[in-house]
Amino acid sequence: MTTALLRRLLPLPFVVLAAALLVFLLPRLAGIDTVRAVLRSRVAEAEPDPAVAARLTAELGLDRSWIEQFLRWLGRALTGDLGLSFATRTAVAPQLGAALEVSAVLAVLALLIAAVVGIPSGVWAARRPRGALDRVVTGLSVLGVAVPEFILAPVLVLVLAIAVPLLPATGWGTLPQAVLPVLTLAAFPTALAAQLTRAETLDALGLPHIPVARAKGLTERRVLWKHAARLALTGVTALSGLFFAGLIGGAVVVEVVFGIPGVGRLLYDAVLGQDLPMIQAGLLAIVVIAVLASAAAELAQLTMDPVALSRALR
Amino acid sequence: MPPARRRSRTTLTGTCLAAVLALATACGGATGAATGPVRPDGELRVALQFSPRSGYAMDTDDAFVLHQFGATETLVNSGSDGRPQPGLATSWAQVDPTTWRFDLRPGVTFQDGTALDPAAVVNALTWVSGVAAPPRAVKGIGLRAVADGPAAVRVTTTRPDPILPLRLSSVNTAILAPSAYRADAPPTVLGTGTGPMRLTAADGMQQAVLERNDAYWGTKGSLKTVTATFVPDPAARALALRAGDVDIAQGLPESSLLEFTEGGGYTNSAVAAPRTVTLMMNQAAEPFADVRVRQAVEKALDRTALAEQALAGAALPAAELFGPAVGWGSQDPPPAPDVEGAKALLAQAGHGPDDPVTVRLQTYPNRPELPTLATAVQGMLRDVGIDAQIQIGEYATQEPDLLDGRYDLFLLSRNYLTDVPDAGSTLVSDYSCAGSYNINRYCSPAFDALLAPLGTTADPATRQEVFRRASAMLTADVVGVPLVHSQENGVARNVSGYTVDPLAKDLVTPGLAVLGE
Amino acid sequence: MRRGGLVLAGVAVAVLLLAALYPVDAITTHLGERFQGPSVSHPLGTDGLGRDVLARLAAGTRLSVWFTLLAVALCAVVGTLAGLLSGYAGGAAAAVVQRLVDILVAVPTVIVGLVVVAVREPGLGSLLIAVLLTGWAPFARLAHQLTLRERSREYVEGAVAIGAGPVRIAVRHVVPNALRPLVAHACLRFANVLLSIAGLSFLGLGAQPPTPEWGAMLAEGRQYLFVAPQLVLIPAVAVVGTSLLVTLLGRQLEGRWSSQ
Repeated sequence: MTTALLRRLLPLPFVVLAAALLVFLLPRLAGIDTVRAVLRSRVAEAEPDPAVAARLTAELGLDRSWIEQFLRWLGRALTGDLGLSFATRTAVAPQLGAALEVSAVLAVLALLIAAVVGIPSGVWAARRPRGALDRVVTGLSVLGVAVPEFILAPVLVLVLAIAVPLLPATGWGTLPQAVLPVLTLAAFPTALAAQLTRAETLDALGLPHIPVARAKGLTERRVLWKHAARLALTGVTALSGLFFAGLIGGAVVVEVVFGIPGVGRLLYDAVLGQDLPMIQAGLLAIVVIAVLASAAAELAQLTMDPVALSRALR
Repeated sequence: MPPARRRSRTTLTGTCLAAVLALATACGGATGAATGPVRPDGELRVALQFSPRSGYAMDTDDAFVLHQFGATETLVNSGSDGRPQPGLATSWAQVDPTTWRFDLRPGVTFQDGTALDPAAVVNALTWVSGVAAPPRAVKGIGLRAVADGPAAVRVTTTRPDPILPLRLSSVNTAILAPSAYRADAPPTVLGTGTGPMRLTAADGMQQAVLERNDAYWGTKGSLKTVTATFVPDPAARALALRAGDVDIAQGLPESSLLEFTEGGGYTNSAVAAPRTVTLMMNQAAEPFADVRVRQAVEKALDRTALAEQALAGAALPAAELFGPAVGWGSQDPPPAPDVEGAKALLAQAGHGPDDPVTVRLQTYPNRPELPTLATAVQGMLRDVGIDAQIQIGEYATQEPDLLDGRYDLFLLSRNYLTDVPDAGSTLVSDYSCAGSYNINRYCSPAFDALLAPLGTTADPATRQEVFRRASAMLTADVVGVPLVHSQENGVARNVSGYTVDPLAKDLVTPGLAVLGE
Repeated sequence: MRRGGLVLAGVAVAVLLLAALYPVDAITTHLGERFQGPSVSHPLGTDGLGRDVLARLAAGTRLSVWFTLLAVALCAVVGTLAGLLSGYAGGAAAAVVQRLVDILVAVPTVIVGLVVVAVREPGLGSLLIAVLLTGWAPFARLAHQLTLRERSREYVEGAVAIGAGPVRIAVRHVVPNALRPLVAHACLRFANVLLSIAGLSFLGLGAQPPTPEWGAMLAEGRQYLFVAPQLVLIPAVAVVGTSLLVTLLGRQLEGRWSSQ
């Protein structure tokens, strides 16, 4: 068990370090004139002024060698200091933290819906393959994968905020405001969860131990839902590993369309405003989350699934 | 599964979408007008276009947001007529060419309870002129402030400055309580202004909450609280207003303004902004060094069609650099296009089917109207035989090339008042031979001579006459083609006293009120 | 099942043919003809600049479909090669590649797109880079698994025993058997990439005006939502329809080939 753990965990710090270097080098790849970007983010139509530019260069430490800048940046990042945003001149870390919190709430709620709605519908659909229920679930799940957020979001707003004014169309902070964005965000993972569950359930129903169980007098219903409960456990962790980072960082469209102060919108605004420290910190955070989420999901699956565990230990 | 059913689902989706849209369109505007008496202690919700990007730092554009909220005030007020009005200073006078004296309004207290005194004003002005990148209004003038007795300050500049009072109407020079200013950080703006509203909560780029300042020195309004939400996406702002999330939405797409009718209880308001979209032409290189080619471009462009059709009336056609937002601006319509005349001029300049004019037309996407205009301009130029290839990229990456004259055509949206209701600094930086932002690469000794009196003349009428003549000269020399003047708009529902400020300085005024029970 | 796949493919080909043959210019503006309804000269009406909507849709179809095909093909080639190599090489190198793949699969394409745009500039080139940076990973994962599976098969082990070199084994045995699952996977990825590209264009970071791309058309049309809803509806149907079509095709292929 420990060796398996170690084998999984050991490369992670190196991956993160490599990602950090890449993230740090981004502006250099970009050839962005940092000083000019700073000036324009503070005052929209700033005319260039060499004296001011020189002062800013010194203030931001841009006149030193890049290795020196990288080590300084990395050292500070390790202590949780992600630098000052060019645009706001306030610390990046608290802003990113607040945005991550918002995005995490969105992501968790969306995953919850995916698990609560997607997995049972997958099991249901698998009970009678090609039956009416199966066709509905399969059809909806195919649609759920095919309809992108930027179409689903306006449709939901038109229906539930304007045609029938039940919910607010924008904003964040209250429960009603969370409904539409969470629904939009949940569509894809829910559809995928339903599809995967259906396929797995069909596989499981074909396994040799199921007829045995039936022969032992267990009702089909019990067999099915026992299987479903196991799937729900492993499925949710697998889903989280697959989607968590994606939902946290990838909800850009939802956050822009609904005006939600999450990481996606923070980074979108940072890109439009060429706020490099913010972009760098945000990307680093998302890579770290992706690393941790995939590692955690894998470990969780290892502990829950004895077959995979024995394979990993071999 | 039979394939036919799958295809029918695709069409079904389309039908559903169509039905939803039809339903929404039918129900949307019909919420009914609930006009009525002014609600005392009303609560107003506003959706704003621009979020404070620099943590409400007073030396950045965020100062506009604070002033719009009624949280901060300046020594001098001004309108677009270019004349200074009393603000926190009741009167002022030029003591000598480089010194002005401002008498402070008595009885004003900051929202933290301290009194407005000369020391506080000196402190605020010294801070804003001393930051690393001073705001445009006070940049490079060597502004220094000292107390002058118990109720006045003296402000000096290194060179004679005829428009110093106007500079102190810039929102960046608003006066905050001394307690606001900290070492190594921008001043804190929570409860440190003098205005009729007090900023009580500022949640980054999401929202801001203001409460009425009951100790305000002037007329107090009826609004008890104002909640401003920052929604950068224009379509989302329109939906927020339609869904009733907010009472006022600023900066809506012009096409959606048509939908917010008075019958639905909405009040539309739109004003010309001191902002012009100009087609810059690089005079430092062929083909636009030749004035005939520039004239051909001017004749090719149907500016009325650009404003009214391409931009759906979101902007006004421009005849000159300065438009109806300012007293000295042109009110006339631009000349009608002349395709044949343009072709003839191109032929005279030696361009024809054998030697067509092939150029790049660059612009940037931050202002959504620019790519649209570029597309329409491209079409109009094609009709006279000029082939323009559109290139859209970030402004910042293009700026060095623009300033060095490495471009052909550039579409630029520019505010010609740069924070102060006076066009002097824009004319000097953009069009004089030594200008730091002379993208057109225009250099005319006659034009520079025309601008010379601006350095000394304080009289608004004389200055405005210079602006008028300068603008006419730029038009005669075809220094770029001013295409359209932008408009600022906003829509309110169940609100009275709402107007859009062309200078983007005022929003929450004493007259603004929520209607209904 | 077989007929279903054929019909879907037929629909796809017909749409592409129509898109390729529709002759009207998609860029030229006719400011006098804004927001027209459907007519003989403009079967789907005109947009806010008087451009023919069908022409823009057709041009958008060409652009979206070819661009996505190119992106998916590049991802498939790079990813498959990486997966094959790591499947063969094994050891530390393979472990590193697989770790990288695990992470890239979890990093959202939209974020990579944002960063590439920040580093370069908005446009289709940046989009292609963003899609490639993450898009090769799923192919690499699949190819790696397939390679391991094929290698452990008895006939391959037999071929090794009679002295066949690794290249020969890869070309003769592994690639042909891995091809079908990879193609089916490519179909499923196609929809994903299509939506990513349209999403980034919707945010204004992809195709720039006047380029007719579906996501960009949606974003443009959104401001006329209540004036001319068809300007949103038409590209929306195109996006959803295409992604449905390709997804269903991929499922058909996957189902058929896995049942064999």
